[in-house]
Amino acid sequence: MFYVMSYLSEFWHAFVEKLIEEIKVGDIGAEISHAIEPKILYRATIGGSNWLISDAVVATWGVMLFIFFLVWYMTRKMEKVPTSKRQQISESIVNILMKLCQSSGMTYDQAEKVVPYVGSIAIFISLTNLVTLLKIPAPSKNPAFPITLALINIVYVIYMSIRLAGIKGFWASLIYPKAALLPFKILDYLIKPVSLSLRLFGNVFGAYILMEFIYIIIPVIIPGIIGLWFDLADGILQGVIFTYLSVTYIGEVLEGAHMAHEAAHS
Amino acid sequence: MEQGLIALGAAIAIAIAAGAAAIGIGMAAGKAFEASARQPEVAGKIQALLMTAIVFIEATAIYALVVSLLLIFAF
Repeated sequence: MFYVMSYLSEFWHAFVEKLIEEIKVGDIGAEISHAIEPKILYRATIGGSNWLISDAVVATWGVMLFIFFLVWYMTRKMEKVPTSKRQQISESIVNILMKLCQSSGMTYDQAEKVVPYVGSIAIFISLTNLVTLLKIPAPSKNPAFPITLALINIVYVIYMSIRLAGIKGFWASLIYPKAALLPFKILDYLIKPVSLSLRLFGNVFGAYILMEFIYIIIPVIIPGIIGLWFDLADGILQGVIFTYLSVTYIGEVLEGAHMAHEAAHS
Repeated sequence: MEQGLIALGAAIAIAIAAGAAAIGIGMAAGKAFEASARQPEVAGKIQALLMTAIVFIEATAIYALVVSLLLIFAF
């Protein structure tokens, strides 16, 4: 018994000494600034313009390939009455998205048009955030990625609201309570992409820095526990929030158009 | 000297924003719980509205985070 105790205490002392050594090595600030730099993996000059392949691009390609095979596998051999597990899972995901769209003021037919894009965006962002589990920095850490997504998103929101509510309905939603609000509503469409991209970028980047910091100062056990939130839950949550907000934006326009229509006919 | 001032500025920026956002989210969540206790039948709708509100409140804290990161890494 005594030998075991002494062995344990020796082991503990060695462990603590090793830990202190680990912590003392290097300058934390320099290591973090090294970690947040985007890594350029490949440079090419095609037709006089520079093409940079960064780690974010490669991670995005990997995720896209993964989603392609995932969806191919999930929707293989579909039947009218689902018997296989994978078809039930994919149908329930589509059902959740349909309910989300309907709860923000769309009819069933309108929701069916919106769900394909919105669902792919949700899966894409969630999975690109989840690559941090493999110790690959998430693409959203690079500001170009969220800004591109937000710009695509706002164009899609405007296009889809015009398609669903008609150009007249869209105009009516812009001037709905008072025509004097028009400049603010237009300003709103400029601020929406900024807010969407900054939200995604800030969350992922902040989580990345925090996780790097924890990996540097305490490399054992603690990163696993804290990573459950910052790598796993927060990543999925950001994808869901991005989707939820874009659905809400479309729903807002439809509701405004509907209210204006009712006000004009009463 | 200048490095220290930048660090102080970043810390103050994120501290004020995080505190204010925490108060805001606390008030919103408290009111939402009160409302859903009073009318449990609309609890689902209140929860959806609460999510939207929290996302918008949190956005201000995220802006402050981006500003303080810019302060640290861009200057």
